[in-house]
Amino acid sequence: MNLDLIKNRNVNKNNIMLLGLGVAIFIIMSILEPRIFLRSANIRGMFVQLPEYGILCYGMMLAMISGGIDLSLVGIANLASIVAASVMIGQDGSPFSIVLGIIAALLVGATCGLFNGFLIGYLKIPAMLVTLCGLQLYIGLGLAITKGPAMTGLPEAYGNIANKLFLGIPIPFYVFVVVTAVIAFIMRSTIYGQQLKFMGTNETASKYSGINNLKVTLITYMTGGILGAISGVLISSHYNSAKSDYGSSYTLLTLLIVVLGGTDPDGGEGNVMGVAFAVLLLQLVSSAFNILRINSFLKTFVYGLILVLTMLITGYFDVRGRDKN
Amino acid sequence: MNKIKFKNFATTNEAIVAYTIVVLCLLIGFANPAFFSFSTVITLSRAMLITLIFAALEMVIIISGGIDVSFPAIACISAYSTIKLILKFDIDSIAFFYIFASAIGLCFGAINAYLIAKRNISPLIATLGVSSIANGATLAFLGTKEFSNIPDHIDSLSRSYLFSFTNSAGIKYQMTTLILIPIVLLIVFFIVLKFTTFGRGIYAIGGDENAARIAGFNVVRIKSFLYMFSGVLAAIGGVTYTILMRQSSPQNLMGAEMMVIAAVVVGGTRITGGHGTVLGTVLGVLLIAIVQNNLVMVGIPTSYQTFVVGLIIVMGTGITSIRSKHIANSAKI
Repeated sequence: MNLDLIKNRNVNKNNIMLLGLGVAIFIIMSILEPRIFLRSANIRGMFVQLPEYGILCYGMMLAMISGGIDLSLVGIANLASIVAASVMIGQDGSPFSIVLGIIAALLVGATCGLFNGFLIGYLKIPAMLVTLCGLQLYIGLGLAITKGPAMTGLPEAYGNIANKLFLGIPIPFYVFVVVTAVIAFIMRSTIYGQQLKFMGTNETASKYSGINNLKVTLITYMTGGILGAISGVLISSHYNSAKSDYGSSYTLLTLLIVVLGGTDPDGGEGNVMGVAFAVLLLQLVSSAFNILRINSFLKTFVYGLILVLTMLITGYFDVRGRDKN
Repeated sequence: MNKIKFKNFATTNEAIVAYTIVVLCLLIGFANPAFFSFSTVITLSRAMLITLIFAALEMVIIISGGIDVSFPAIACISAYSTIKLILKFDIDSIAFFYIFASAIGLCFGAINAYLIAKRNISPLIATLGVSSIANGATLAFLGTKEFSNIPDHIDSLSRSYLFSFTNSAGIKYQMTTLILIPIVLLIVFFIVLKFTTFGRGIYAIGGDENAARIAGFNVVRIKSFLYMFSGVLAAIGGVTYTILMRQSSPQNLMGAEMMVIAAVVVGGTRITGGHGTVLGTVLGVLLIAIVQNNLVMVGIPTSYQTFVVGLIIVMGTGITSIRSKHIANSAKI
C-alpha cells in the first residue's frame, strides 16, 4: 500500500509541479494584494467560475485519451442551456420545470455527443473535423432557436444553482468535485476506462484484441456531451440567461488545461488529478490577472504562450526519455 | 476508353460538388429569378475573393496532412500592425503594405513551422496556440481601435476595376482588380501541385510521411516551407481584405477559419491528407459562398445560416467518408 503511494508519487511529477505552481501563485498573490485576493468574494468568485470550464475539461480529456479531440463542447453547453431555458420558459418556471429543463439539457448533451461519436466511430471521419463542424452545427442550432439575443426570464430559483452557497462554498464547486470523483472512478476502476486507454494507444491493436472500438468511442463522446450539458446548466444559471455564444474562449482554455494536466495529445494517456490541478492553477492565474488589472487581452496571449511552451517542454522530455531507454 | 474516362469524371468529388451547385442555383433561381443575372457573378466573386486566398493556403496544408487554424490571427496582426505603421509614418505605398505585412506573416509562419515540422507538435494544437498568441498580442499591444482612414494611394486600389456593368435598373456593378490575386495564386498552385516534384512531395507527405522520407523527400524542409508560406499568404489575405473593405480592425477576420476549412473539405480535400485539387477547392468555396449569400433569397432566415452551413459541411464530409469506406471495402483487383 505504502509502496504503491510512493510509486504513484514518482509517476505524477507533473501533478506535483502543477500543485507547487498553484501554491506559489497563491502565496505571491496573498502577499501582493492580501486585501483583495483573500477577500471571500474573490475566493467565492473563483469557485463559481472554475467548474464552468473545469467540467468541460474532463470531456476534452476523455476525447483526447481516446486519440481524438472534442472542440464542440462549448457549442453543446450552449445548445443544452438554450433548450433547458426554452423548456423552463414554456413551463411557467415552477420547480418541476427546472428539473425538467435540466433533464432536457442532459438529453440534448448526450444526443449531440452520440452524434459526434457516430460520425467519428462509424463513419471514421477525423474527430477534429467532426467536432469543428459540430461546434458550428450546435451554435447554429442555438442561434436558430434564440434568433440571436440572450434568452432571459428564467425562473429565479434556477439562478440559485450557481449563485447560492452551501456550507459557505458555492454549489457549482460541489458539482465539480462530484464530477471529478466520478470521472476518476471511471478511469481507474471500470472496464471502459481501461479500454479507452488501450484504444487511444493503438486503435488497430485494441480492435484485434476484442474491444468494441465503436462502443468505446460512442461512450466517450456521449460522456463528453453530458459533461458539456452540465457545464451549460452552470453557465446559464450563473448568468440566469442562455445564449449561443457564452464561453467562446473556453475551447482554447480547456485544451490548454488538459495538455497542461499531462494528457497526451496523441492519445492513450491522461490523469484526472493532473487536469483537476491544472484547472485550479489556471483559475488562480486568471484571478491574479484580474486583480493586478492586467489587460484581459494579455490573458489570451499568455494562455497561447503557455500552451506552446508546455508542448515544447513535454516534447523535449519525451525525446530525452526515449533516448535514455 | 473515352466513356470510362467520362464516367470517372462524372463521379469525382469535384463533379458531385458541381452538381450540388447547379441544383442549388436552380433552386435559388426558381425562388427568386433575380439570382440569374450578371450582377450575381460580381457579388459572388467579391464575396469569394478573400476566402479563395485563405482556402488555397489551407488546402495545401491539409494535403500535406496538417491543419492551420492560425491564419485569421496572422492575417489580422500583420495587416493591422502594418496599417498602424503606415498611418504613423505616413508611408503611402501599396508595395510597402504588402511586403511589410508579408514579413510579419512570415515570422508567425516560421513559429508554426518550427513547432510542427521541427518539434513534431500536433498541428491543430500548435496553430491554436500561435493563433491565441497572435490575437492576444494584437489586442493587448496594438490596441483595439478600428482605422477607416486608409491613405489615398492604397485606397485607390479598392476603386480600380477590371470592367463594370450597368443593369437595367441602372445600378452599376464593378469587378474589382483585386480578384486577380486569388486567380494568379490558384493558377500557380495548380501548376506547382500538378507538375513539380515539390508539389508531388506535398501529396506524398500527406499520404504517408515515412514513405515520403524513404522516397527521398526532405519532409522537414517541405513542411517548414509550407507553414512559412502559409503565414505569408495569410498576411496577403489580410492586406487584401483591408484594402477591399477600406478599413482595418484588429480582429475582423477571427473565426474565418471555420468557413475556410469547410470550403476546402467540401471541395473534396481529405482532412487526413494526401488528396485534394485546386478545382475542388474553388468549387467548395463557391458552394459555401452561394449558401452564405443567397439563403435569404429562398426564404431561410439569417439566424439559421450558421446551422445550414454546418449541416452542409457534415453532409459533405459524411459523403466523402462513406465513399472512401466503400472504396476500401470493395473487391480489390
